[in-house]
Parts: sequence; structure tokens; C-alpha cells
Amino acid sequence: MEISLLHLIVLLPLVTAVMIMVGAPARQLAQGSSVLNAVFGVLLFSLFDRDDAGFQFVASLNVLESPGINFALGVDGLGVVLVLLSVIVMLCAVWQVPKRIEGSEKLYIVSILLIGGGAIGAFATTDLFFFYAFHELALIPTFLMIGIFGHGPDRTSIAWKITIYLGVGSLVLLAGLLWLYQASGVESFDMLTLIEAGKNIDAEAQKWIFLLLIIGFGTLVSLFPFHSWAAPAYAAAPTPVSMLHAGVLKKFGLYGLLRLAVPMLPEGFAAWENLILVLLLGNVIFIGFVTISQRYLDRLLGYSSVMHMGYAFLGMMALNEVGYNGVVLMLFAHGLSVALLFALCGQLRERVPTLEIRELGGVAKAAPFLAVFFGLGAFASIGLPGFANFASEVMIFLAAFKDGLGEDGGITPLQITCIIAVWGVVISAVYMLRAYRNIFQGEREPQEGLLDVAMDQRWPLVLLVAGLVAAGIFPNLILNLLP
Amino acid sequence: MLTLNHFLLASGLLFSIGLAGVLLRRNIIVIFMCLEMMLSAANLSLVAFSRFNLTEAGLPDYNAQVLVFFIVTVAAAEVAVGLAIIVALFKARETVHVNDLTSMKY
Amino acid sequence: MLGVITLLSPLITAAIIALGLRRVPEAASKLSVLSAIVGFVCSLIMLIWSCNPVEPLVWATAGDFSLKIGLLSDDKLAQGMLFIVTFVGLLVHVFSLGYMKDDPGKARYYMGLSLFMFSMTGIVLADNFAMMFIFWELVGVSSYLLIGHWFMKDSAADAANKAFMVNRIGDFGFMAGILLLFAITGSLGFEEIRTAIENSPPAQGLLIVATLCIFCGAVGKSAQFPLHVWLPDAMEGPTPVSALIHAATMVAAGVYMMVRVIFLVEAAPMAGEIIAYIGGGTALLAALMATQQDDIKKVLAYSTLSQLGYMVMAVGLVAKHPGGDYAGHAAFFHLYTHAFFKALLFLGSGAIIYACHHEQNIWKMGGLFRRMPKVAITFAIGTAALMGFPFVTSGFWSKEIILAEAYGTPVLFWIGVGTASLTAFYMTRLFLIVFFGEPRTDHAAHAKDPGAVMTRPLMILAVPSLIAASGLVYKWFGIHPPHHADGHATFILGASIGALIFGVSLGFFLYKGKKKEPIGFALFRDKFYIDEIYIGMVRVCQDGVAYVAKALDQIVVDSLAVLGSARLARGVGNLFRFTQVGNLQGYAFLFGGGVLVAIILLFSFAR
Repeated sequence: MEISLLHLIVLLPLVTAVMIMVGAPARQLAQGSSVLNAVFGVLLFSLFDRDDAGFQFVASLNVLESPGINFALGVDGLGVVLVLLSVIVMLCAVWQVPKRIEGSEKLYIVSILLIGGGAIGAFATTDLFFFYAFHELALIPTFLMIGIFGHGPDRTSIAWKITIYLGVGSLVLLAGLLWLYQASGVESFDMLTLIEAGKNIDAEAQKWIFLLLIIGFGTLVSLFPFHSWAAPAYAAAPTPVSMLHAGVLKKFGLYGLLRLAVPMLPEGFAAWENLILVLLLGNVIFIGFVTISQRYLDRLLGYSSVMHMGYAFLGMMALNEVGYNGVVLMLFAHGLSVALLFALCGQLRERVPTLEIRELGGVAKAAPFLAVFFGLGAFASIGLPGFANFASEVMIFLAAFKDGLGEDGGITPLQITCIIAVWGVVISAVYMLRAYRNIFQGEREPQEGLLDVAMDQRWPLVLLVAGLVAAGIFPNLILNLLP
Repeated sequence: MLTLNHFLLASGLLFSIGLAGVLLRRNIIVIFMCLEMMLSAANLSLVAFSRFNLTEAGLPDYNAQVLVFFIVTVAAAEVAVGLAIIVALFKARETVHVNDLTSMKY
Repeated sequence: MLGVITLLSPLITAAIIALGLRRVPEAASKLSVLSAIVGFVCSLIMLIWSCNPVEPLVWATAGDFSLKIGLLSDDKLAQGMLFIVTFVGLLVHVFSLGYMKDDPGKARYYMGLSLFMFSMTGIVLADNFAMMFIFWELVGVSSYLLIGHWFMKDSAADAANKAFMVNRIGDFGFMAGILLLFAITGSLGFEEIRTAIENSPPAQGLLIVATLCIFCGAVGKSAQFPLHVWLPDAMEGPTPVSALIHAATMVAAGVYMMVRVIFLVEAAPMAGEIIAYIGGGTALLAALMATQQDDIKKVLAYSTLSQLGYMVMAVGLVAKHPGGDYAGHAAFFHLYTHAFFKALLFLGSGAIIYACHHEQNIWKMGGLFRRMPKVAITFAIGTAALMGFPFVTSGFWSKEIILAEAYGTPVLFWIGVGTASLTAFYMTRLFLIVFFGEPRTDHAAHAKDPGAVMTRPLMILAVPSLIAASGLVYKWFGIHPPHHADGHATFILGASIGALIFGVSLGFFLYKGKKKEPIGFALFRDKFYIDEIYIGMVRVCQDGVAYVAKALDQIVVDSLAVLGSARLARGVGNLFRFTQVGNLQGYAFLFGGGVLVAIILLFSFAR
């Protein structure tokens, strides 16, 4: 079996984690390996052949003859974007690990490496078994990190909540996947084979399998009403974990839907179309309003990340190339911007006694770097041009209208949903700018001795902004990958 | 003439006495002894089966006897471990009365 | 090519300042002024000689669909607008050299200005809706940054936020309109949409909705009722910014956009009607509010609102005259003259504020005519143009065309005349209080003309305020001077001159020699309480709904559904807990019984 670049990217974090467990210096090794992995990721991205629609960097190693489990790797345009996103966010997360950790630094860093490595593996594999297994590998350290290193007095109960909630979600997902496997009638976990075979599943079965998948994947991606784990967990989790989970790992749900459910189960998809439209409006509008009334910055960011997932579903619903491209760009842009915001929120948490928005003010006076970068993150998050989020939102909106009016010359349910969802851009501007104005601007004096972001923690943030701007000005960097 | 039924009857009686002891007595050592009695009842019926189910060559069925040896060995090991547990229990709780050992309740 | 240079030079400047010159304000301001000069020269060349078209740049592709950045090359409207933007922009850049001389955030200020020039150029040169929307949002950002320049002041930070959010509401409509048009015509380019609508007229109802949605964008950006509330607050920004962004160019972008898609209004007359009434209503309301303001910039801000209302009314009136693009040009013509004299007035007020040590209350000024003659004379020219002083000022001609347009619709015509009269009234009031009488504070007593870097731009702007409506310009825009061929010329002229005389004399009568407000009409001073009403609405409709949503989320989704299922699991577990009696023999008995039951079940089913 040949070793491809993808092997390096998937295995490096895991190998590093093992090495740290047996005693290598944790912080230095993790930082070095994350830099190396980011370089590999960028290399992979640049070597990716944009004219080839199929999977690239394919390599496979048989693990089990029957029922045919292979350690198979390979990425297409969707996968390579998510792998790139993962390595960048992971790099920034590792470098944002706080200087002082209460507890075992080794455990902290190993967990982060496992979360990142698991996410990368899930996006890079083409085998259904490893697809699921890698995701679980990333989830378990997430739970542990919230329970052990989290913030706030109720972190234990929050850790339990997310564990059970996502555990149940994963279980529903597993049921759906196994049913899919059984109904497709092929003796293989290879996703490509499954996708081919899946088209033969009869409509009634498709309908119910799709429901299981949308609940399972939807829970993981915090689709309304399966979202209530998200905001408390992000608020309680240590900063690098929030960055990795909200930025990368959460995208697994949408990735799964785009990769498996939508192409395999077109009739199942059609059967639940209106339901999903309602649910995504729940994400954009209902959660949008919930976000407005949040009093703490960390919860606000958590809910805002839930809200934006609604747009990704909207793009998926359009079922055309514009929507698909828009969603992929949105996953990338949202991952970077939410990681940036959580990183800055973590920096702020170290500096001020409370994150209650009303109690803060004038921070920009003392910490201009923090203020400017939070401003950039906020601008990106509310979708201003120049940042990738804007391009993706525009693509998603246009996608719903790309195929013209409905057959009767009126507008379709999807288009009505889309127009209502556009109101979300107003909502996000309201909560983001209100929070920004209250925390960073105004006449109130920031507290004594508030310092700006330390020099050596600045460059990962600069990197995130650079990524957002690059993809915002030249969206074709990402979009061209999906012919 | 003793038939298989006589042996089985004796074995059944022995088993029932043991079972009643296990369910009704409160002293854990007595329960333990009754448990051993149930094992012996099983042994008795096995030996009887062996004796009355002759093979074509006129030999007893040794399968049953092998099983008896197994039971005897296991019983010996069980007595060793079980008595040790009971001794440890007594040291900890100063009682061998099962009514006093209800920490698993609810 | 020239278009590309005009577009990119401010962007590059902004990027350089942001990345490298933040600590070198002197260099930053010089660089920014240089880029403004480059832009102005390019636009001048484009205006006179026109320029070669450039290939559109593909910005984003997905399959066979792509979003393009294309620059209009041979378009009179765009060239004229670009000239206004770069000309006023250059003067404001220069003026700011004086006005912002000692400001600690000077580099940031010039970065914002350059970013604004870039975005505004983009709007002007956009040849499709997607590109226009991109730059539409970008001017919003630069306006946010510049209004909030002094973000350590609560009022400035709040004003910036308000401006952004109110504009976002307009953008919501704009986006919806773009999407609807995209669905109807399958394209985003202005030309393509025009052709598509002409070739196969879509259902009237849908088109009206789409046009009104597009107009929503203009309502937000051009601050028309009901989204006008952000513009007066935006005066918290530095005064040169108010002159450039919130008087001459950005707020006119909405009108410019409507003129660009005037074919939509023509195709949907019903929408045109609504637009005209919204414009007229805004013109009247804002003029009434302007009569009772004490802050010099607020007076000018409300006057801007009122004049924008005129322009929007002219846009809507196109529907009344199908077949010609005369009124569309009337709106643009007023935009064009207004840009000069309103920028002049704002920069003049900036000079006054600067001379009075950042005092903005007109009742604390007075007697400035003798102390600041250069500013006073240029300000007087601007005032005359705004009032529409007959025959010698540019404002007169453009206002006259709009009134001629409105003649067929009595309500709008009399609103126009009334607004003209009110304009004359409040400008007389402003001029009398600021420039005549005795100085009412020490600052006013010691005020003097600022340096050449600030007075020169005023003098330069005074010229087009007077002559911008000369025959050359008519020829350039391909429109006819207000010849009033329909025979009502004398009547309209009489009405507008009558309105002027009435307004001015009323102003003289009421305010001559007064030291404080003689009438004090609270309803106008407090802007019809619209702000208060909106604050109440936001409390109820947004924060209230948000609170309810949060409560629903917590009670129904989190507590009932999620915790509820957790409780259910725990309850079932509790039920079975009672089988754990803790009695060894009980367990043994149950175990034995269970085995028996299992055996019996096995046998009964096996059979």
C-alpha cells in the first residue's frame, strides 16, 4: 500500500498524541506538529487537481475481509476544503492553549490533538466505518475536556448533557447508517459503492432512513430543535475545544448529509423538504431572536454559531451547484470566523472578571488588537463583503432563485423560506454589533491593568483573518474545487 | 431392587432440602452448606445416570462421571473462596445474618 | 482601464494604511489625498473623453453560474456620478487635512475615507446587482467606521450602530428584491434585466413587489421615511465625513441606484406611485423637523433628508410620464446640483464648528459674518442654492424641473412647493442666527476664518453651486432645460418664487435679532417622536420577541423536550429500582423464578 500525503495529515495528530502520552514534551511537540500539519494541509490543497471531479489521494488498506472494512482515504472538492479548514483551525487551537492550565497539561493537549485528528480523519476517509469511528474518536475527548477543564460552576452537568445528547444523536445516526447499509444490499462500507447502490433503495425506505439521518446528523450540527446542547457547551468548554468543535467538528453533520444522505436518498430528501425548510427557519429566525436576548458573550457566540447553520441547510435545500458551492464555502468561512471569535472570547475571559455584556465597556482603549480583531470577526460573522461569509451567503441566497420561479409562475416554498431567512442578516447585525459596542466601545473605563493579546498568540488570529479575507476576495479559491 | 427412580427421588429430595435451606435460612454459613447440598444432589443424580445408562460394551457412561469430578473440583474451589469471603464479611460487618446485609437495597 | 485605476487606488491606499501606516498619520493622510487626486483626474478624463471597456472579472463561479465584477465604461450617468464623488471626495480629503489635523486617530480616519471612496466608486461603476450589493454593503461598513470614528463617545458609538442596523433593514429588502428579479429574469446585470423585462413582461404583481423591495434598499441608504432616523444621528461623525458621505454621495447612492434601474419603475407604475409619495412625504416631514433644530449639523441633516425626498419623488414620478426618461434625469440632476451645495454647506459648517472650538449649537454662535467673511460668503452661496434662489443658482433649476414633473399630481406639487417654502424658512433662520446679531459666547466672539486648506475647498465648491446648471451641463446629460413647454411655466415659476419669498420673509420676521428660540414647537423639534416610537417598537417587536423566544427555547425545547426525556428515562429507572430489595435470598428466588419463566417460555415458543 502506498503512503499518500493524506495519510500523513490524518495520522500526524494521532501519532503526536500517542507520543505525548508516552512522555514527549507536550506543548512544544503539539505546536510543532500542528504547524507541520498545516503545511501539509496547504500542500494537499495546492496539489489537488481542480479539474478532476472524483476522489484524489486515494489509498486503501483492508482491515476486515467481511463485511469489507477498509482504512480507505481520499478527498474530493468537499473533503479537501474541510481538511484544509481542520488543519488551520487545529493549528490556531493548539497555539491558543492557555499558558497556565489547572490540571494535567498532557491530558489537555492530547485531547485537543485527538479532537483535531478525529475530525481530519472523518473528513478524509471514504469508508463508512472509519467515517463514523473517527467522529466518535473526536467526540469523547470533547466531553472529557468540558467536564475536566471547562468553565463555570455547572460544567459537569453541561458535560453530561452534551455527552448524552450527542450520544443519542450518534446512535440515531448509527441506526440510520446501518439501515442504509442493509437496504443498499452491498457487502461494503465503501462510501462510493454505497452511493451507487443507494439509488436503488425504494422510496418508502428512503423516507425513513432519511429521517433517521437528518435527526442524527442534525443533532450533531445543532439543527433546530436539536440545538440546546450547543450554546451551553461552547460557553463551558475550554477555548481550544470551542474553536475545534464549533469550527470543525460540528461540520461533520453537514458533511455527512452532503456526502451521503442527499446523493443517496433523493426521494427521501424530497419527502421531508418542507419539514427541513421549517426547521432551518427555526435556526435562522428563532435562534436568531434567542441570540439577541443572550446576556453573556460566550453564550451569544454559541447561539450565533447555531443560527448560522440554518444558512448551510438553506444552501443544501436548493439542490443545485450554486447552493452546493455556497454551502461548502459557508462551512469553510463559518469555521474560520467562529474559531476566531471563540479564540478572542477566550482571550477576553482571561482578562475580565465576567463576560456579561452589560458589565463590560471601553475595552478597545486598553486592548486595541483584541478590539480590532474581534471587530473583524464580527464583521465576518454578520456577512460583510471582503470576508468569505458574505460570498457564501450570497451564493446560498442566489441558489434558491437560480432555477427561476415555480411552475405556476409564483414563488416556491424554498424561495419564501429564503426571503424570510434573509432577515437573519439583520438579526445577526443587531446582536453582534450591540455586543461589540457594549464591550469594546463607549465611555466606560476598562478595568485596571487590562493587557492586550500577547505577541506570540497573535499570529494564529492573523492567520484566521487572512484566510477569511483571501477566500472572501477570491471565493473561487474554494469554489473552483467543485466542478 | 433399587432402580434409577429411587436415586432420582433421593437426589430430588436432597436438592429440594438444599433449595429450601438456601431460600429460607438466614445464616450465611448454613446457606452455604445448603448450596453444597444442592451440588451433591446433582452429583448423586449424575452418578446414578452413569450407572444405569450402560454403554453397549456394558461399561458405565463416563461422561457423567467426568462431570461429577468437575463439580467436585469446582465445589472445592468455591468452598475455599466462599468461606474466605464469609470470613472477610464477618470481619467487616461482625455478622453472618443475611437480614443485616442489605446495603444493596434500592 | 481608468475605471480600474479609480476603483483600486483608494483600496490599495486603505490597505497600505491599515497594514503599515497606522502609526504614521502624516504619511497616511498624504497618501490618501494622493489617491483622491488620482481618482479625480481619472474620472475627469473619463467624463471628457470616455474610456475603453474592460473585461468583467469573474468573482465567483459555481458550475455554469458566475458572479462578475464588471465596470460600466460608456455610461453618462456613471461618469457624471463618478465625477461628483471624486470631486467632492477630493475636496473633503483636502479639507480634512485641516479639520482633523490634531486628531489621534487620523490614520484610521483616512483609511476609512479611502475605503469609502473605493466602495462608492464601486457602486457607481457597478453593472450588475451582485456587484452593486457588494459595494452597497461596503459603503455601509465605511460609513459605520467613520460615524464611529470617535467610538469612545457613547453617542458616536450608538449612532454608528444605529446607522448600520437601519441600513441593514433596507438591505434586507434590497436583497429580497435582487433575488426576486433574479428569479424573474434569470440574470443580475442591469442591461440583461432591462432587456428581459422589455421582451417578456412578467406578472405585474410580482414586478411591483420586486421593485418596491429594490426601493427598500434606497429607502435605507437614502434615509427615506420610515428608515430616515439614522441620518441625523450620523452627524456624530467628523463634519467632513458628514459632508461627503451623509450629504453629497453615499446617501445619494439610493437615488442613483433607482435612476439606474428606472426601467423597473416604468414597468411597474403602481410602485412608482408609492415611491413618489414616500419621497414627497419624507421631503415635507424632514423640512418640518429642520425648522426647530438647534444643532447646525442637524439642521443640515434634515435638509439633506428633505432634498433626498425630492429626488425620490422625482424617481417615482417617472411612472406618470411613461415613455420618456425625463424625470429619471430630473432626480439625478437634483442629486448632482445638491451634492455641490450641500457639501459646501457641510464643509462651511465644519469650518464654523472648528472656529468655535467644536461648538455646534447655533444659539451659541452669532455675529460670525464679520469674523469669518470667507466662510460666510461661501455659506451664503450654498444657502441660496439650497433655497433655490431664482436664475443664478444651480439648485433653482433642478428644483424647477422636479416641480414641473410633479405638476400633474396636485398633492405632490403642493408638497414640493410647501417644502421649498419651508427650506427657505429654516435656512434663513439658520443663517440669521449663526452669522448675524451679537456673538453669544466667547468662542463665537473670537472665531476667525480657518486656514487656506479649509477655505479653498469652500471657494471651489461655491463655483459649481452657482453654475452647475448651465447649458453645457444640460447638453452633457442630454436633458432639456426646464422650458415648461406645456404652458404652465409661469405658474410653476410663480409658485416657487412665491414660496421662496414667503419662507424667507417669515424667517426674517421671526428670527431677526432674536437671542433664543421664539416659537419652540416641540413636535417638530422632537422629530414627531418617531425615534421614541421606534425605540418602543424595537423593545416590543425585537427585544420582546427575543425574550419570548429565549423563554420558549428554555422552557419548551430545553426543559420540556430535552430535560423531559432525561427525566422520563430516570423515572423508568426509578420504577425498576424497587426490584432491588437488597435481600440475598430474594435475589436468589427471583433468579430461580426468572430461569423457570425463561425455560417455560422457550418451550412454549419452540413448539
